[in-house]
Amino acid sequence: MALLTVKNLSVGYHTRKGFLKSVQGVSFALDQGKSLGFVGESGCGKTTIGMALMGLLPNNASVTNGEILFEDQDLLKMSKKEIQQIRWKKIAMIFQAAMNALNPVHRVSDQIAEAILAHDADISKKTAMKQVESLFQLVGIPPDRMNDYPHHYSGGMKQRVIIAMALACHPSLIIADEPTTALDVIVQDQILSAIKDFRNKLKISVIFISHDIAVVADVCDTIGIMFAGQLVEYGRIEDVFYSPMHPYTQSLLSSYLTLNKDVVQLNAYLGKTPDLINPTTGCLFCERCTVAEATCSLRAPEWVKISPTHKALCSRCK
Amino acid sequence: MEIQKFVLKRLIEIFVIFFVILTVLFLLFRLAPGDPVTRMVDPTMTPEDAAYLIAQLGLDQPVWLQYIYYLKNFFTGNFGISFHYGVAVFSIILNRLPNTILLFSTSILLSAFAGIFLGKIASWHKGEKIDTWMTLGALICHTLFLPWLALIMIWIFGFHIGWFPLNGMISPEIWLDSSSGFWLKFLDVAHHMVLPLATLFLIHFGSYLLLMRSSMLDTLKEDYILTARAKGLDEKVIRNHHAAPNAALPVVTSVGISLAFSLSGGALTETVFSWPGIGRELVFAVSNSDYPLAQASFLLIATVVLISNLVVDVLYAYLDPRIKY
Amino acid sequence: MVDRFLEGWSVYKESLIGKIGLTLLVIFALMALCSFFPPMIDPMYHPMTGVDPQISHSTSPSWRHWLGTDFIGRDILCQLLAGARIAFMVGISAAFMSILLGTTVGMIAGYSGKIVDTLLMRLADMIMVMPTLLVVLILSSLFGQLNIWTIVLLIALFRWPGVSRVIRAQTLSLKERPFIEAAKVTGASHFRIIFRHIMPNVLPLSLLYMTFRVTSAIIIEAALAFLGFGDPSTVSWGMMLQWVWKTGHMFQAPYWLLPPGICISLLTLSFYMLGRAMEEVLDPRLRKEVAQE
Repeated sequence: MALLTVKNLSVGYHTRKGFLKSVQGVSFALDQGKSLGFVGESGCGKTTIGMALMGLLPNNASVTNGEILFEDQDLLKMSKKEIQQIRWKKIAMIFQAAMNALNPVHRVSDQIAEAILAHDADISKKTAMKQVESLFQLVGIPPDRMNDYPHHYSGGMKQRVIIAMALACHPSLIIADEPTTALDVIVQDQILSAIKDFRNKLKISVIFISHDIAVVADVCDTIGIMFAGQLVEYGRIEDVFYSPMHPYTQSLLSSYLTLNKDVVQLNAYLGKTPDLINPTTGCLFCERCTVAEATCSLRAPEWVKISPTHKALCSRCK
Repeated sequence: MEIQKFVLKRLIEIFVIFFVILTVLFLLFRLAPGDPVTRMVDPTMTPEDAAYLIAQLGLDQPVWLQYIYYLKNFFTGNFGISFHYGVAVFSIILNRLPNTILLFSTSILLSAFAGIFLGKIASWHKGEKIDTWMTLGALICHTLFLPWLALIMIWIFGFHIGWFPLNGMISPEIWLDSSSGFWLKFLDVAHHMVLPLATLFLIHFGSYLLLMRSSMLDTLKEDYILTARAKGLDEKVIRNHHAAPNAALPVVTSVGISLAFSLSGGALTETVFSWPGIGRELVFAVSNSDYPLAQASFLLIATVVLISNLVVDVLYAYLDPRIKY
Repeated sequence: MVDRFLEGWSVYKESLIGKIGLTLLVIFALMALCSFFPPMIDPMYHPMTGVDPQISHSTSPSWRHWLGTDFIGRDILCQLLAGARIAFMVGISAAFMSILLGTTVGMIAGYSGKIVDTLLMRLADMIMVMPTLLVVLILSSLFGQLNIWTIVLLIALFRWPGVSRVIRAQTLSLKERPFIEAAKVTGASHFRIIFRHIMPNVLPLSLLYMTFRVTSAIIIEAALAFLGFGDPSTVSWGMMLQWVWKTGHMFQAPYWLLPPGICISLLTLSFYMLGRAMEEVLDPRLRKEVAQE
């Protein structure tokens, strides 16, 4: 039984210019202890999925379709109070370190303890603080820094605090939204190790959202490639990485420079982002696709099963 | 530790500013048309008294020596004799200072707290009726002309309804009666203080409300608010514990910036309500050409502004952990 | 230039506050203009000297005097109209002068940097700490009764620091832009750079602050007049309030007490609204955009 099953999720935003379809018909499943990555360029809808799972969509967003089944309960049908109880206790989130994710006027220890105390009515402040201390040790920050304020921390340390905070209530699922963006490569590596650590040791499921496919490949078992609000390729890391089928995935992977291969021509893609307010009926990637046919722009593509663990949304790959 | 260094640094700055003000005032005093001596020393005094005072103030000395006398006198509290009252200026302003501080600080505290509290509430209900009314009310109050509002208050509440005294700070009968206890006197002052306090409050709370409201709306868009929501905290907790403390900081800064303006308003209020404070004394002294008293009142008000600025700065440093001095 | 103005105007038009503010301002401007007419109709309507031969005390509104008369029989409505004229005159001149001074100081401070900057900003800080009203009071005790233009000048001299800080910040950010570098390379003098290149870019901000300065100038002049330190030969709204108060008509003559105060408050309100609407034009971030993804 999967921990999380998302069926046909569609989310859109009400804007001045119309209703922007940010996520269209996305389905996936995640088992306990496994990790899933979402990769795509800015605006592809990956962050929206993360927000929808937490119930943190902004006021001008609406879920137009779909189910989010977490431990067999549809999160979309829950009341506000029920969602509040699930948040952090069952599903937690790791934000970008570059974000202002920590409140500048409260001590870091208080902010983490707050999460613990909010979800456990019987615990005392003292015990909560002890837990904060062990969390700090878990992520490798000296506990004597506990009572500092956020602005005393470097970017890497802040990210670790955010990870510690996410682990505070022992959730079953952690959604990491661009956790290594804006960090230098050495710190990036440390953070990724930390994430892999708690995934392996604590058996926590992870949904990893990034625009960086290499990072996702490092941490996740399964990967979903997103483009223009749709999932265009989905499968195990080995499958997608070594045999990408969708033209978009192929161009994503080839736009990477690697150290152990010769420099190949980079496939920069042309064309602008597709119109998400009035999307075409055909394939959304058509304009930028190098192997598009005439029928691609007229008829919506269907899922092609390449292997039991690998599928792509493309009429051209059989 | 750092706060102490900060206070010391600011005190030195205040000292320098004050010094400059003293000097400028001295220069203007010398440059102004008319005879400086008759300006400082009441011509109706007896020649012996006048001569004594002139010697004390150094008015018969060359300019640069006068300046030294001027500074020395200032720091020893010798401001001359008031034309109007006939007593040492120092005793007069010392008597008036507590009254001004009482009215001024109470009004600032009240309007700041009310502005922050109501602004917070207005932002919660953004777009709803309560918000529209609050914002409109704040806007109207903020643009009312203070002396006029004071007159209206007296007219309606003092004259027509008769709940409050028309002016002054105390009722002489109560204070002259030796059997009046502390509480009776306290209530008497409070009773007299209601209208001037209400006037100052109405004028000032509006700008704090509007500022707090927009500050809250900005703060609620911050990332750490998203974090707080993700933690599953209740909306009320998020607004009060996470958003409001951050949103209130610009309001505190604004209180500091508008201190000078608030004091001018205080002076106007004191004048209309005949509240015996330094502001009113300054106005009277200028009307009566009582220069010694006017000069001293002005300098004391300048001191109050400077010290209040320091107090607000220290308060802000205490509230915002990001400030390190 | 013109397109920028038209573009700004279309955004301005959308703001309700801006429209109300502008409407009120137009009404007051009309009042100010109309102030010239009544004395021409009949000398008894002159705000200062026009005394009704038949009335020599305060009367309530009547057909002869739409808002009644003051304590020596002068028409209140005419005084109100004249007050509008004075308010605009004082407000706009004082604001203009303080903006002129503040912008220049701000630009020079921002552009020069180091010692000049520090000195100028320290000076600005010192002046900002002073309560303008009370400074003018002490000055009038030294120099005697002040005339209206002296008051305007003094207000301008004490209100420029606020603008200068903002302009300085703007100048600091403009200073680093490539087009300034280019100007330096072509040998432009500092003077030329400041006034030809930087000034046009800070001007919109200056104009915005001017609207805020107008309100404070009007209020300070009115307060001074109220306390009895205004120019006795000009009839301003503050002066009218002084007369009501000092002649003891506060409680019996609401037709005299209310109009000047309402006018001061409404004019202040309208400039404030104008300023807020202009802020939206100048700072696109304040416009009511709906969030995109």
